Amino acid sequence: MSRIQIEGLTRRFGQVTAVDHVGIDIPDGDFLVLLGPSGCGKSTLLRMIAGLTPPSDGRILLDGRDITHIPPRDRDLAMVFQSYALYPHLTVARNIGFPLRARRRPRTEIDSRVETVTRVLGLGELLTRRPRELSGGQRQRVALARALVRDPGAFLLDEPLSNLDATLRTATRAELTELHRRLGSTFVHVTHDQVEAMTMATRIAVLNRGRLEQVGTPSEVYDAPATTFVAGFIGSPAMGLLSARLDLVDGGLYARAEGVDLPVGPGDPEDGARQVLVGVRAEHLALVAPSTAPLRGVVRLVENLGSEEVAHCLVGEARLTVRGPRPLGLAAGDSVGLTTDPEHVHLFDPGSGRRLVRTPTPVTAVQS
Amino acid sequence: MLATLAPHEAPPIVDATAVRSPRPRRVGALVPYLYLLPGLALLAVWVYRPLTQTFQISFVSWNLLPTSPARPVGLANYERLFTLPDFGSALGRTAVLILGLLPFTIVVPVVVGLLARRVRGRAATVYQGLVFAPLLVAPVAGAAVWQWLLDPRSGAVNQILGTTVNWLQEPGPAQLAIIVITGWHVLGFAVLVVAAGLAGITDDYAEAAALDGATRGQITRWITLPMLSPTLVFLLLMTVLLAAQWSFPLIDTLTHGGPAGATTNVYYLLWDYGFHSFDAGLGAAAGVIFFLGFGVIAGGLVWLSEKVSIHDN
Repeated sequence: MSRIQIEGLTRRFGQVTAVDHVGIDIPDGDFLVLLGPSGCGKSTLLRMIAGLTPPSDGRILLDGRDITHIPPRDRDLAMVFQSYALYPHLTVARNIGFPLRARRRPRTEIDSRVETVTRVLGLGELLTRRPRELSGGQRQRVALARALVRDPGAFLLDEPLSNLDATLRTATRAELTELHRRLGSTFVHVTHDQVEAMTMATRIAVLNRGRLEQVGTPSEVYDAPATTFVAGFIGSPAMGLLSARLDLVDGGLYARAEGVDLPVGPGDPEDGARQVLVGVRAEHLALVAPSTAPLRGVVRLVENLGSEEVAHCLVGEARLTVRGPRPLGLAAGDSVGLTTDPEHVHLFDPGSGRRLVRTPTPVTAVQS
Repeated sequence: MLATLAPHEAPPIVDATAVRSPRPRRVGALVPYLYLLPGLALLAVWVYRPLTQTFQISFVSWNLLPTSPARPVGLANYERLFTLPDFGSALGRTAVLILGLLPFTIVVPVVVGLLARRVRGRAATVYQGLVFAPLLVAPVAGAAVWQWLLDPRSGAVNQILGTTVNWLQEPGPAQLAIIVITGWHVLGFAVLVVAAGLAGITDDYAEAAALDGATRGQITRWITLPMLSPTLVFLLLMTVLLAAQWSFPLIDTLTHGGPAGATTNVYYLLWDYGFHSFDAGLGAAAGVIFFLGFGVIAGGLVWLSEKVSIHDN
């Protein structure tokens, strides 16, 4: 049971800042997913929590205790590595028992703990095998068992599913979620896979170039992305973004650009003539007659997903994707008209890329 | 009416053998052996032919003069070899030499290798260069410098130690000197092999062990050393098989196997038989016995190395 607080954590490698003043409060029992593209600093951040990489700046607190300079073995954290790092010369049983053996626990206790953990994870018949005799999925389970065996304060998982095939990954995702629910421990899971993040996390921290873009529940991150990066990174296909100018007509705001005349809801005089980035998710776009449509463009590509189709359209210079049941009745080269509800329109500041939200008073759209 | 979907029809397979003429195919099968041929030819000329000749010479009495006849003597050379006291004592001294070299080829390199992992960047390169340097010194040149250092009157070694030992003329010190100088010479090679072995072990294991609660000492004992064991068996094999050869140029320069045979190991002995006593048959017989003996030991160590080697993934 552990709460992890990260304050202003920074790591520089020479001139490169891999992690830049990241602060996250991970409450006890949270399943936090650190999500971002490769090179965003998520693994470095996890390694700093684990104590494998010393931070250049900032603090890490575990249940209020400053562990920034405590060696990994005294941190009460368990980690599952992307490579699993199973000790190749030891049997499965010895691998799983290793954390207890290192802590000089009595043989009988080690045996019974290993027995319990392997029963839970269904590894019973593999105990005498060596890691090289195991499949990828079995190795992943042994790595998990080794983390579970000593009941740590928190689990750190570094892309543990990335070496599994698609079917196994889906199954293991569900198992990890179930394990988290049953244990109630704190999990910190690093991944670049947004599906993993959306399905497993209680909260997602999106990182980009070492900076924290947004922390929130999967719904918050999906429904109200704080930045254009989050908007583009989460969701498949990615949210289309087009730059437009706001116009106020009779108290209603319209986003206007080439091929765009889209109502985005009520507004105030201060909002008029403002440059914005307009984002709409593919599933919130609907097809309408091109002549009168608020968004007018040309279809460039239609992708068949089996149950649905995704049409990539060019509106002005921006790419928008529309998703709907198959068949959409569109083909490449067709003129297309699109519309959406104002409530599904996301507005971002083009300079900072940050989300624009409505504030009740004073009646202006401000940067969040 | 329902009909089952016809299975996917694969395009007909064209019989490639029918198209190609049989002749180029036979040449094609030969190609790998043709590539091997130069190497095999060199092996045959420089290794297998001399080996066979050694076997032949071990059954004759011959004084190496091309003009004098080689007289067949059957097993007489072998009988003589086993009755001569030199043979047993040379074996014993070879064992002492091997045991004496193990600290230089295994213990010190492992300690140095583990410590050196904490040295990073340019310092590591400089340090590796320094450790490796003795191997680049020609053994005979090195021996000449050591002879000077070990001089009983004005040598630096006696001055530093404050002793008056006649290093190369007393049996015990002479053997010790040969061991230490050979060890100094091969240490760099062994350190390099250990460094390569350590570099082959990914940091993930040590990091995982650190998070699992292992201390630095436990990680070394439980993770690093077991994973390094194939490298260590390799070094053991090299030491056992090559110790006598490594020391040969030093013995030949510094002690000539003396004093009173105190530094004569098996290789020096058979060389002495052949090229000092001009008893080619006896030298060849000793060579055959050592070849077979070392062959058995090498086989055992190779088996051991297969057993301890860890197939990572």
